[in-house]
Amino acid sequence: MIGALSRETPVLVQGITGRMGRTHAGLMRAYGTNIVAGTGTPGMIDGVPVFADPAAAVAATGATASVLFTPPAETLAAGLAAIEAGIRLLVTVAEGVPAHDAIRLGRAARASGAVWVGASTPGLAIPGVLKLGFLPDVALRPGRFGVMSKSGTLSYEVGYRLAEAGLGQSIWVGVGGDSVKGVRFAELLPVFVADPATEAILLVGEVGGTEEEEAADAYAALGAPKPLLALIAGRAAKEGVAMGHAGALMHGAAGSPDEKTRRLELAGARCFSSIAALIAACMSL
Amino acid sequence: MLLTEADGKALLREADIPTPPGELVRAPATPSVPGPWMVKAQVPAGGRGLAGLIRRAETPQAARAAVAALLGATHRGHRVGACLIEQVARGEEHYLAIALDPAAYGLRLLYRPEGGMAVEWGGLLAGTALPPEPAAIAAALPGLLPAAVVPVATRLAELVLTRELALAEINPLFVRAASAVAGDARIVIDLNALPRQPALAARIAADPDAYPDAIRRQEHGFDYVTLDPAGRIGLLTTGAGLSMMLIDEMTAAGARPLNFCDIRTSMLRGSPARIIAALEWMAAASDLRAILVNIFAGITDLAEFAGLLAEALAARPVAVPVIARLVGRNAGAAAEILTARAPLVVLEPDLTRALARAVEAAR
Repeated sequence: MIGALSRETPVLVQGITGRMGRTHAGLMRAYGTNIVAGTGTPGMIDGVPVFADPAAAVAATGATASVLFTPPAETLAAGLAAIEAGIRLLVTVAEGVPAHDAIRLGRAARASGAVWVGASTPGLAIPGVLKLGFLPDVALRPGRFGVMSKSGTLSYEVGYRLAEAGLGQSIWVGVGGDSVKGVRFAELLPVFVADPATEAILLVGEVGGTEEEEAADAYAALGAPKPLLALIAGRAAKEGVAMGHAGALMHGAAGSPDEKTRRLELAGARCFSSIAALIAACMSL
Repeated sequence: MLLTEADGKALLREADIPTPPGELVRAPATPSVPGPWMVKAQVPAGGRGLAGLIRRAETPQAARAAVAALLGATHRGHRVGACLIEQVARGEEHYLAIALDPAAYGLRLLYRPEGGMAVEWGGLLAGTALPPEPAAIAAALPGLLPAAVVPVATRLAELVLTRELALAEINPLFVRAASAVAGDARIVIDLNALPRQPALAARIAADPDAYPDAIRRQEHGFDYVTLDPAGRIGLLTTGAGLSMMLIDEMTAAGARPLNFCDIRTSMLRGSPARIIAALEWMAAASDLRAILVNIFAGITDLAEFAGLLAEALAARPVAVPVIARLVGRNAGAAAEILTARAPLVVLEPDLTRALARAVEAAR
C-alpha cells in the first residue's frame, strides 16, 4: 500500500474539524495530497465534505487511506472504525496512545490486512508527490534515499541536511516512537527494496525495543540488496526511564544502542554515531 | 517506566502473589520481622546485585548498617532514597516474566526453572506467545509451567492486562512444593495509560525520590530528565530523538550534558511557563556552564517561540552563555526578535557549530 501511493490516492482525515486536523489537512492539500473527506461535525470545511464516521466517508468518497488527528485515548476506537470501514492505510499521529490499545489496534490491522503507521509519528511522505501527516516541507526533497525513523525530529534533521546537500528521499516513513506500533522497520525493508527510486535505505533508530535487531535479521535474510545506513540515538540514555518516547526505554542490555549497532553491522549495515557522519556517507554513495 | 522493587511488589500483593515479609525504610532502622534479611536499595534500575546494592544481613545491627551504607548511593543516574528490608526467602530459584509483545501484538511468557542474578531479561527473543485474553491464557498456562508456578503466572498475566503493564518480571521466584514467593519484582508501567490507571498514578506521585522525571512530566506536560546532576550543558530542545542524539554527540565530544529535554514547542500555546520551568531546573544544577537551545520547527512558528524564549529569559535570567540554533519556519524573524529582546543569546544556525560552541563554553 505504501509503495502504491500516488497523487490520486483518495485520503480521509479523521478529526478534520479539530484545530490540528484542520491545519494539517490544509498543509497536506497544499503539498498535493488528494484529501476527499473528513470526519467530525458533518458539513463542509475548507471545501472538504465532513462525515460523522469513516463508514459514511468511505461509502461516499471511496477513500482508501486515512490520517487520524484524534486524541490518544480515542485513537483505538477511531482506528478500529477506519479498518471496519475498509481503509487500507491508517496513519495515527497522536502521541501517548496506551500500549495495550496499540496491541488491539495492531491485531485488528493485521487481521484485516490494513497497514497502520504510528502512533506518535509525523506520518509518511513520497516527496514531491504527497504526504500523510506533517513531515515538514523544508526537509522533504525528492531523491534516492528511503528513510524510516522512530523519531520525528531526528529524521527532520537528517532530511533537512540531505536536502541541503542536494540529496533527497524516495519514500519517508516515520514508524513512531512508541514501543507497540503499527508498521515496524523490518516490515518496511521489502517496500524500499521493491521501490525502483530507492537506491539506499536510511534507518534512524533509537534506544529501546527490538525493532533495529529485527530489521538487522530481515536485512540479512533479504540478502542485503541495497545499502543500509543506520543512526541510533540514545547511547547516553538513562536506564529505566522513557526518554520522551514511550518506546525509548532500556532494560539492562536489551534495547541498548550498542547491541543494535552490533546486530546491524553483523547483517551488513553501516552504523554512524553522528548526523554529520551519516550525511557524509550519503554524499559519497 | 520501571517501578522500584517495593512498588512492584505492592502490585504483586494486590494481585495475590506472595512476597517475603519485610518493610520499606527511608532512614537506618533495625528490622521488625525475624531474620536473616536481604537489604535492598530501591532504585528503578537493574543490575543492583552486581553493583553491591543488595546485601545479606545475619544480625539486626548488620541490617541497620547496610541501610545506612546504601541510602544516598547513586546507581545508573538514580539516587537511593529508600531500602527494602526483607526476610530471606527459601525455595528453588525460578525465572518468570510476562511481557507485552509488540511484534506479535500479544503477551509473551518467559519462564526458566533456574533463576537468579545471572538471568537477565533477554528481550522478546524467546518464550511463548500468548493472546491478550485472560481465558485463553488461563487455558494455556498449565501446559507450559510446573503446577506450583501456574497460579502465580495466571495472576501475573491478569495484572499485566488490568494494570496495562509492559513487563512484569519475577526473578527469582522462590518455588517450594506447592507455593511460590516473589523474591524480586521488575514491573514496567506504561505512562501513556496513567490517565486511566489512577492507582498507579497515585503510587508514582507518592514517591518523588524514585520517580522525579515522571512526576515532572505529569505536572508540566513535557519531558525533562536529569542525566548527570553535575552536568555542565543544559539542553532546551524539542523532539525526543534529536535531543538524545545531541546528548550522544556531546558525550562523545567529552562534554557533560545535564539533561534530556523534549519541550514540545507545538504545545506551548503562547505561554513561556515550560521554558521558565526548564531554565529553573537547569539553573539549580551544581555546575551549569552553558545552555544549548535547538529547535527544528517544521510546523511551529519560530518567531512565536523566540518571543516566548525572550520572555522566559527576562523572567528567569541565566548567568551562563545561551547558544540558540533555530531552523525552520520564520527563522529570520526569530533571529531579529532574539537580537532585539535577548541580545546575550548567541545565534548559530549550523547545528555542528552550535554544538561545538556549547561544548567550548562548558569547558
